[in-house]
Amino acid sequence: MRARLLVGLVTAALLAGLSNIALASSGQLKEVEFDQSQAARQRGAETVVGVCLMCHSLKYVKFGDLADIGMDKQKIQLLLTDQKLEDQMLSLTPLAVRKESYGKEPPDLSLMTVARKKGPQYVYTLLTSYYTDAEGNIDNHLFPGVKMPDMLGYSFATQGSAERVQIEAQTRDTVAFLMWAADPNADERRELGVYVIAYLVLLTTLLYLLKRRTWRDVR
Amino acid sequence: MIKKAIGWVDERFPLTELVKHELTEYPVPKNLNYWWSFGFLAVFILALQLVSGIFLAMHYKPDAQLAFDSIQHIMRDVNYGWLIRYLHSTGATAFFAVIFIHIARTLYYGSYRRPRELLWWTGLGLLVLLMATAFMGYLLPWGQTSYWGAQVITSLFGTTPFYGEDIVRWLRGDFVVGDATLTRFFALHYLFPFIIIGGVVIHLVALHWVKSSNPSGITLNDRDNIPFHPYFTIKDLFGVGVFLIVFCGFVFFGPELLIEPNNNIAADPMQTPAHIVPEWYFLPFYTILRSIPDALGGVIAMSMSILIFAALPWLDRSTVPGGALYRPGYRVLVYLFFVDVLVLGYIGAKPPEGVFVVIGQIATFIYFGMFLLLPIVSSREGRHSREEGLPRQAERLIREEQEELLRREHYQARPPTVTPVARQRRDSKGRK
Repeated sequence: MRARLLVGLVTAALLAGLSNIALASSGQLKEVEFDQSQAARQRGAETVVGVCLMCHSLKYVKFGDLADIGMDKQKIQLLLTDQKLEDQMLSLTPLAVRKESYGKEPPDLSLMTVARKKGPQYVYTLLTSYYTDAEGNIDNHLFPGVKMPDMLGYSFATQGSAERVQIEAQTRDTVAFLMWAADPNADERRELGVYVIAYLVLLTTLLYLLKRRTWRDVR
Repeated sequence: MIKKAIGWVDERFPLTELVKHELTEYPVPKNLNYWWSFGFLAVFILALQLVSGIFLAMHYKPDAQLAFDSIQHIMRDVNYGWLIRYLHSTGATAFFAVIFIHIARTLYYGSYRRPRELLWWTGLGLLVLLMATAFMGYLLPWGQTSYWGAQVITSLFGTTPFYGEDIVRWLRGDFVVGDATLTRFFALHYLFPFIIIGGVVIHLVALHWVKSSNPSGITLNDRDNIPFHPYFTIKDLFGVGVFLIVFCGFVFFGPELLIEPNNNIAADPMQTPAHIVPEWYFLPFYTILRSIPDALGGVIAMSMSILIFAALPWLDRSTVPGGALYRPGYRVLVYLFFVDVLVLGYIGAKPPEGVFVVIGQIATFIYFGMFLLLPIVSSREGRHSREEGLPRQAERLIREEQEELLRREHYQARPPTVTPVARQRRDSKGRK
């Protein structure tokens, strides 16, 4: 009886472990590094404003904020149609039209890369998982039946072609921009953090020496 | 000039007396290790949370329509708003980490034992207040995890017999978590820290009455006590320095690690997330809640898992002083308990299926089993060490403690009147 219970427990543990592995692999997120340079973000901004904003919005980002990734005013103006610099990055398509096309409002992209674990990898994988099935319909491996059309044309380019490589690079830059949009102070935060930690290490060392000096005569 | 001013104050308020009694002449055992620095750290974090929280409240909007946006306003538009918010969100985690270590130290060294029972109980009261404050604060960002976490936790009160639904509606101010809930949680989240300050003052008054315990659990000789200032001010400040290095590592290089991704999606009452996982500091208790198949039973078990700590001074029946230092049996129990709590925490983060349920139930059983074992283990241990004798160091400390007590009784036994000889001498002096 006890032996059977033990066997049962071990099998259960093994199964749980296996199902964990299976879950992890069914996610199938592509592990990619994203170039966090201002140049990459600027290229990404062009894609986001030119393509994504047709249906999505980034309500927490203003067009003028693009100056923070090194774009000058003229360059930002080139991206705009009739919006102003102080406007939020909202979709130009009327909400009713978008709702009719997709059944609901397409999600806001401001926080997209932090709204799930491995957000940047998820967005990249989603955009590069479109394919054409046997009947000629376009679908997505990561998110079967996704309502979003293949805007960057990944499924149209043949595998291994220069076009596909170019689309993958464009997708990476787009994700790099979205990462900035989700956490625009990350650069400043890390930069400041180095000084803060350096100061604290120095301060703590001094406190330690002072502590040793104070405690010299104890015991 | 300053001396004169202090003199003026001293005549009306015991300022110098207070500094002397609580700092420069407050005796602390000199053998305290760094685990004793965590109480000071907790006060430091409380101050940090208060200051950052007050600044956040200046920009936050406790309104279901505006709350989520106002957090992004703080993160993006307020000068160093991101820093204030990350200090506060990381601070919540740090607060629990420090408090858990503070409690673990109390358990390990048996600091809850006579005469520190009241100190222990006020501390437990503070833990409950801290948990309530953290829970209410977690609703304020109004993300998906905030919303559904509050929905689940408030619904626990629905298991109360007869009045369950009324209590839940009274807590939420509505039939579901909504604007009314958010506003009251904000008000209470602002109020509770000040109640906590009051609790801390009581905790410290109790501490300064019975004085700190120490690793041996034996009251030390007067000459083995040193004043809090400067010895422990500098030691604890060094502790704060080490803490801040780790803390700022998180604040500046990984603050998002402590924010559930799902909480970056605005609360949506129409869409329940697949897994609702509470913050890490609630996970062990959450597992205990889920391990009991009956809803009401689960809630009772979860409340008991914290309240049962209050019984420790009675459950520990050892005649050997202190905690794990001179008590090998107790040491084993404490270590097992720590491991068990970690297991409970791990299970709490997993979905309640298959083997995780079984492990959770076993761990819950062990959790309460430890408290039931304690009276047996501690009284046997006492008997055993009376036969075998304690380590030489412990014997010496106990002897010194008893000598000290005898000496004090010796002096106190005499009435504080002037002896006949002295009176005679004084009288003869006066006559000249």
